[in-house]
Amino acid sequence: MKKLLLAGLSAAVMTTAVVGSSAQTQLNRNEIINSLQGAQQKVDVSADALQKAAFENIQKYPGANSPQGVPLWDKLASLRQFNIEITFDFDSARIKPESYETVGLIADALHTPYLQGQTFFIVGHTDAKGDREYNLELSIRRAKAVREALVTTFQVPSQYLFAVGMGEEQLREPSKPDAAINRRVQLINVGYR
Amino acid sequence: MKRLIFALTATLLMANAPAAAQTVGFAEAIKILSASCGADIDKYCKSATLADNGIGQCLAQNEAKVSQKCNADRAVVASLIQERLAAQAAAPKICTNDARRLCKGVKEGAGHVLRCLLKAQRSVGEKCNTAIDLAGYR
Repeated sequence: MKKLLLAGLSAAVMTTAVVGSSAQTQLNRNEIINSLQGAQQKVDVSADALQKAAFENIQKYPGANSPQGVPLWDKLASLRQFNIEITFDFDSARIKPESYETVGLIADALHTPYLQGQTFFIVGHTDAKGDREYNLELSIRRAKAVREALVTTFQVPSQYLFAVGMGEEQLREPSKPDAAINRRVQLINVGYR
Repeated sequence: MKRLIFALTATLLMANAPAAAQTVGFAEAIKILSASCGADIDKYCKSATLADNGIGQCLAQNEAKVSQKCNADRAVVASLIQERLAAQAAAPKICTNDARRLCKGVKEGAGHVLRCLLKAQRSVGEKCNTAIDLAGYR
């Protein structure tokens, strides 16, 4: 009897745990830490160079949609990184209150000893709707807004964070250029600098 | 018997309480602002941003119009963030001796020392363990 009761009880506890975790936001601090931490090779791409390359990509391959991505971007592919959805007002860099928690989670992760002292690119991306240069400028403003929130409200040391906008030059899902999945903020760990 | 169970529960609750009650993470803190002030922010602070205390200043300027709950909670949120920051700044100093004693040869950076201290929790001093809890590093 005792055994049966115990088994039943632990099953009930497990169910609660599973339901509990799926009811919460899927994102948590440790998920961000685990995706961003760890040894990696050195990559000598500066935020400035990357930003410049994005503008050059538009001049070099004009048109509604880019036929190819930014070559410099490929160098970052092997680095530890994480995609996060942050919502902004339409055509604006104002972070919506519903996304404050997500920005706070990034701060929670960056403030742990696991990630302290390492440098991160905060990269803004848009979908392919609208003008490419406009999208690029908007993504720069949005990446800066996230960086500013982290640096001021949550006091993440400013020297470790660089904001970069890639507009629609690096779609996450090139086969669906207008899809929401392309709109994201990407954190990339570029290591100790 | 009933009394014993009650005492046991009370002890368990107390053992869990201090760490959980004293500081909270940045996400948890700022979530309170979204929940208590989200509607007011969207109504009165359409051009303010989360940066440079823009939201805080805007809510203060609109104090008379903002909901009572928001007015009460925005101050709470600001102090929760400050408390966590202070706890995180203090933890490495409070744990210096424990780290020296228990984590010899562990190289600094990338959380190696913290990992060592977490593993050695039973041997780590009470002050350092509490500091780790308050910093949200467990």
